[in-house]
Amino acid sequence: MSTSTPALGADRRVSHGLARALRSPSLRLIGRRLAAAIPVLWGVTLLTFLVLNIMPGSAAQQLLGADATPEQVRQLEAELNLDQPAWVRYWEWLQGVVTGDLGNSIASGQPVTTIIGQRLPVSVELVLCAIIVSLAFTVPLALMAARRPNGIVDRLSMVLSMTGLSIANYVFALVLVVVFAVIFPVLPAIGFVPLSDGLLGNLRSLILPAIAIGFPLFCFYTRFLRGDLVEQMRGEDYVVTAKAKGVGPWRVLIRHAFRNSLFGLLTIVGLNLGTLIGATVIIEQIFALPGIGQELLQAINNRDAVVVQAIVLLLAVVVVVANLITDLLYAVLDPRIRYGQRSA
Amino acid sequence: MSTYGAPHSAAASVSGDGSRPSPSTTMPLLEVRDLWVRFRQGDRQVWAVNGLSYELFGGQTLAIIGESGSGKTVSSRALMGLLPETATVTGSARFDGEELLGLSDQEMRQHRGADLAMVFQDPTRSLNPTMRVGNQITEAIRTHLPLDRRAARERAIELLRLVRLPSPRQRFFEYPHQLSGGMRQRVMIAIALAADPKLLIADEATSSLDVTTQAQIMELLLDLQGQLGMALIMISHDLGLAASFADEVIVMYAGRAVERASTHQLFAHVRMPYTEALLEAIPRIERPSHSPLPVTPGRPPDLTTLPVGCPFEPRCSRARDTCRETSPPFEEQEPGHWWACWYPCDDGGSG
Amino acid sequence: MASVPPEAPERPMLETAGAAAVSPRRRRGWVRSLDVAIPAGVLALVLGACFLWPIVASIPPPTGGDVLESNLPPLSPGHVLGTDPVGNDILSRLLHGGQASIQIAVAVQGIGLVLGGSLGAFAAYVGGILDAVIMRCLDVLIAFPSLVLALAIAQSLGPSKVNTIWALTFFSIPAIARISRAATLRLREQPFMVAARLSGTKMWRVLVRHIAPNILPQLVTFGLLGMGIIIILEGALSFLGLGVPPPAPSWGNMIFIGQQSISAYPRLVLMPCAFLFVTVLSFNLLGEALRARWSAQ
Repeated sequence: MSTSTPALGADRRVSHGLARALRSPSLRLIGRRLAAAIPVLWGVTLLTFLVLNIMPGSAAQQLLGADATPEQVRQLEAELNLDQPAWVRYWEWLQGVVTGDLGNSIASGQPVTTIIGQRLPVSVELVLCAIIVSLAFTVPLALMAARRPNGIVDRLSMVLSMTGLSIANYVFALVLVVVFAVIFPVLPAIGFVPLSDGLLGNLRSLILPAIAIGFPLFCFYTRFLRGDLVEQMRGEDYVVTAKAKGVGPWRVLIRHAFRNSLFGLLTIVGLNLGTLIGATVIIEQIFALPGIGQELLQAINNRDAVVVQAIVLLLAVVVVVANLITDLLYAVLDPRIRYGQRSA
Repeated sequence: MSTYGAPHSAAASVSGDGSRPSPSTTMPLLEVRDLWVRFRQGDRQVWAVNGLSYELFGGQTLAIIGESGSGKTVSSRALMGLLPETATVTGSARFDGEELLGLSDQEMRQHRGADLAMVFQDPTRSLNPTMRVGNQITEAIRTHLPLDRRAARERAIELLRLVRLPSPRQRFFEYPHQLSGGMRQRVMIAIALAADPKLLIADEATSSLDVTTQAQIMELLLDLQGQLGMALIMISHDLGLAASFADEVIVMYAGRAVERASTHQLFAHVRMPYTEALLEAIPRIERPSHSPLPVTPGRPPDLTTLPVGCPFEPRCSRARDTCRETSPPFEEQEPGHWWACWYPCDDGGSG
Repeated sequence: MASVPPEAPERPMLETAGAAAVSPRRRRGWVRSLDVAIPAGVLALVLGACFLWPIVASIPPPTGGDVLESNLPPLSPGHVLGTDPVGNDILSRLLHGGQASIQIAVAVQGIGLVLGGSLGAFAAYVGGILDAVIMRCLDVLIAFPSLVLALAIAQSLGPSKVNTIWALTFFSIPAIARISRAATLRLREQPFMVAARLSGTKMWRVLVRHIAPNILPQLVTFGLLGMGIIIILEGALSFLGLGVPPPAPSWGNMIFIGQQSISAYPRLVLMPCAFLFVTVLSFNLLGEALRARWSAQ
């Protein structure tokens, strides 16, 4: 018993390490979340399919125009595989998804993966710009507001955030267009310059749309962060400890309260991604950006079920994965979760 | 190595071992005069502390005893300038000859942690969960002492050793949740000692711990006090604890002091019925087992109005008409023994 | 127009404003009640303008304008705010568009309150596997980017006012159901609820007599907070051509039509934008103030 071979010992160590890794709370959390996400994603595809199939008027009719004969329509439907029962098509589509084949667009015949590959980077760049810009403004404003609750900065931030939460993004986008493209023509109102044509032009074409998405976002983040900071400064004992050490107010705010608020802010950013996707549909439409939102709207209007389904699934996956990453980052960053609760 | 390198050796020069300065000859370290604290709560006023006065000499231990809401915690936080903005503080508190009340927050910060330090009730909530305990100590060190990162770390480890935390070098890098409750409170004490304070306020520092740990932490505090020559204010609801550790005791009720004496004198001759009631509530070995503990009937008074008579009158067994009509003054009625009562207990009343 | 009586949405707001004015904290009570009174007043003004003005005063119809009178500037005779490129009176379109937006929002939140509220309360009350299934289904709806879902539904049903309402209820029902479920779960363990259960009261009776009156104020507050979002979403649908179909006005499709001549006539966009913003802001402020009052209690 006591003389085990070295190889066996190593093996046991490996399996022990694996077992410990599997028992680690963050990994188990991720596993649980993944297991819960799969039925949700499946439900999303089913719902999309149902919604798309109660659409009156077929895609073939749409493609051929109003003066097509019933024969022509039927022929095209057969070509596009639209004449089979809905559940058969759903099953085939689902099989395709599992094997990584999202099918071809009904309208253009292009593979959906190619379309997504072209359109997605634009939207991702837009959303990332919006998030980064809004966070860059949120953090200093919320800190200044929380430094003196009910002070002048705080009141201003409250008014600003309430305004931002009440203004529809398309309204704000159009106001931006009126101000910066019509009254003072300094920025392009529509169009997109790809990154390959130069960074400066690319960023210039993204400034207005990113602000249009980012401003309400900034207001939302600021409202949350300010509230969380004020609550901590009022209620948390470790804030009192820090003050009792003689630490200055800014340092207490940043090193103690903000450090703890960061986790909450991260969650908010992750959870809010779903709403952001809705915003990109409109904003891309207004600024004529060739992103995924524009493609989605086009596909909905063309009754291009294959594309709509693929994009909706993609967006749902993005939302679910964003939530998952939020949890994961949380687990990596928050020591309480990182090491598990060892003591009482 | 800087002069701040080793906390215990540096502090040992401040006071000789055990020889305490005599109260009559030196100036008190802390002199509180007529301290009033009231809170704005919506449209009402809460009268939390009403005219508290005491003095404390270097190296002494003072216990402030009272129920929750008696003003014991509020009065000590007022000294540290840690009350929320809704509080109004009046009166005087001279620390080492300097007036603390009315200092700006920036001036007060020079004293907080450096001259006066505080250990709080709940170490779990009082430590920042997202910071390594070592950094929480070095933060306190580097706020007040001109040490670089390395020297501050060495001093922090030295402090952890001083509060008898096992394997301090390793604990330095751990997070609060990795420590037990007693260990966390030791870390809190290490933070409080970071800049060699002259006065340590322990606000119910042992109440949230189990009995064994409680005794250990209390022993540690008293050892450190002797070793470092600090003055110690012990805030507690436990008169028994005061009896075993304090030089002097102040009993507070409804925001005012109701009895004050040296520990010895107080327990020999209890005068105030409230103190007596507290004393009766301490479990004792000589009582027959399973006999019920006497409980003071009634609830602590409503602090939103100042009563005309004695605030303890509604719960007092000795109360008469005078008590209802006029509030008894808090005066030194015997040498070294202050109390506020019209009909004090006689000598036979104490245990 | 006749489906929602004009004074219906006004009454609860005026009542809350009145209740605040006689609050027991008299000294600074009137200052405190301003946070409710101001947005409620502005809302009453907007609602009155949209629903009463077209009845009381004679203003031109919102559609079928004369092309000869197109693009008149504001303060033209007979057209206070001018006309749009097809000669319709802008003020009239704004007021009728507001009617459409508010009717849709009230209907969506009303349906959400009834269906979502009872679904959530039912799920929480029965608990167990049924609760889990219902909540999973709501999760699906919430994981779905709400606007995308509304777009798809609006497209498949075809653009019309009624279909816009149904499309948007997919947004309000799950949100209100969640709040209702949480509120009911908190109630479930209250002594009077336990007593009602133990005494063998029928489930629907407990739900109607005990749970509904208790969670309703909270749900209504939440519904009020959501009004702003629904008005914005309705505007978005109309803006994308999938909401109220032109020529009938709604604030959203007015913005959309105005966008096509934005460089020549920015006011065609800015005026409905301003109305939309003021209305949504008032709803948000009112909901926020009521919520604050709620959590203070």
